[in-house]
Amino acid sequence: MLLKVDGITRHFGGLVALQDVMLTAAEGEITGLIGPNGSGKTTLVNIISGFLKPTSGSVIFDGTPIEGLEPHRIAQRGLCRTFQITLNPQRMTVMENMLLGAPRQRGETILQAILHPGTVHREEAANLERAWDLLEMVKLAGHADEYAGSLSGGQKKLLALAQVLMAQPRLILLDEPVAGVNPRLIDDIVDVIKLLRQQGQSFLVIEHNMGVIRALCDTVCVLDMGRVLAEGPVEAVLAREDVLRAYIAAGGQLEDEPASQTDLSTG
Amino acid sequence: MLDFLIYLLTVVGIYGMVSLSLSFQFGRTGLVNFGQVAFFMVGAYFSSIATAILGLPVGLGFIIAIIAGGLLGALMALPIGDLRQDYWAIATLAAAELIRIVFLNVNLGSDYVGAAYGITNIPGPFREYFTTTTYGYFYLGLVAVCVVAAFLILSWVGRTPYGRLLKGIRESDEVARALGKDVRVARIHALSIGGAVAGAAGSLYAHFVGFIDPQFFMPIETFLIWAMIIMGGPGNPVGALVGTLVVQVIYNSTRFIQFASEYASTMAALRMVLIGVLILLVILYLPQGLVPERRRRYGARPSGKGSANTGGGHAA
Repeated sequence: MLLKVDGITRHFGGLVALQDVMLTAAEGEITGLIGPNGSGKTTLVNIISGFLKPTSGSVIFDGTPIEGLEPHRIAQRGLCRTFQITLNPQRMTVMENMLLGAPRQRGETILQAILHPGTVHREEAANLERAWDLLEMVKLAGHADEYAGSLSGGQKKLLALAQVLMAQPRLILLDEPVAGVNPRLIDDIVDVIKLLRQQGQSFLVIEHNMGVIRALCDTVCVLDMGRVLAEGPVEAVLAREDVLRAYIAAGGQLEDEPASQTDLSTG
Repeated sequence: MLDFLIYLLTVVGIYGMVSLSLSFQFGRTGLVNFGQVAFFMVGAYFSSIATAILGLPVGLGFIIAIIAGGLLGALMALPIGDLRQDYWAIATLAAAELIRIVFLNVNLGSDYVGAAYGITNIPGPFREYFTTTTYGYFYLGLVAVCVVAAFLILSWVGRTPYGRLLKGIRESDEVARALGKDVRVARIHALSIGGAVAGAAGSLYAHFVGFIDPQFFMPIETFLIWAMIIMGGPGNPVGALVGTLVVQVIYNSTRFIQFASEYASTMAALRMVLIGVLILLVILYLPQGLVPERRRRYGARPSGKGSANTGGGHAA
């Protein structure tokens, strides 16, 4: 197992946000994480990526425990996440965003930039090459010099995906990759993720859009009120009555209604 | 009149360096530094102590001032590197006042040196080779060289991958962290680099006026620097210099208003009102300041793949 979340519990004061959560993500697969609003998905992702500390339990990535490490240390080990739209650097161009994603850049330390200008120059050239490749894949090469803030919602999601790919992670945590995206662009995003999976990239995807979860995921984990309600192959899990009930109780929807419902919540 | 112009340009140059330093910290890195005057003060004091009290050469005092400013930056950023920007504002403001109050209460060497008496007889570099008038020209030249150097260095840093990382931190430190960047270290370095530049400016200031005391380094000075970079455009080093020129011209303009000496204090207050009004106008109509941030353009992909569209290139 590439990622193993083992008995994670997180309290916020008296509130139990997560209770003894177990989750695994296999290498080369796409694992889905679903659940109604308030079920603890975001808390779990924040814990896995190091932005929150768990009250108890452990997160094992590639055989080593990573819970309690700083977010950048976790990212350096090859576990990277994306965020919701508004967080991505807006007043940086698309290309600057991409180059920012490149890992282990010597030129990012001022002393190294002064002492090794040649190395830094070569690294820049190589990163630029990779950035163009990835931008072509997500169809943003024509927008390289535009500010990220001026892209459409769907393009921003694609940029966030391409940016995190620059970091060459072993596992990518995608935080709602199609929320608030125009339905036609949803297909583009799904196609890109499928293509990457074929190339061996592993994902953990949080998403409300069941059509996307069905199209992408090998296995899925359902959270409800901070507990794991079900885990297993997508179709089997989504057919379960208790999963259905959890969604209906939370006012959610299990059918393939594209983004319309999540549009409202994410703007 | 010419003397005054020389004086004004020298002051613009010195404050221009402080603005460049804040523009780098805030405009580039997003650090809300409300204690900028502390770096200026530490530069001025360390250089003065080294030369006027310890008798070291001015050049050495200048280098000591740069190092002191840089170390102060690192020291100030060390405990707050991980905090949010609003906490930075409070912490840096408090740190600057702390430093000023320490200098206000500590005698340096003898009873009437340091503390509220300040430091007198701060030597000017190469003073013995010039007359009073020609020394003004010389010092302006010296300041000009330093401003240009600071401008070139900070612009170069801005173009390195480190500069890009700072911009990324300004826009969203969460994204930078999630991409594996050590945000804390990058911020400490940024405050230190800016601190070194402001320290150099402090040294130039002390040797220019020849006398310093803690009254020169009140928090209002920090806010004047902020006025300069907000007006000029925080994202662009050219803007920092333009803003400094505008604010300093207004600030020094009252010398020419001699017809109403009984209203002198009113006039002095009106300068600040004018600066305030200008800032409001700039924020309302030119939110990016007089000189907006420039973006680095990569153009289209240079040939090799498919279309041979190579326009644009790497114009910065």
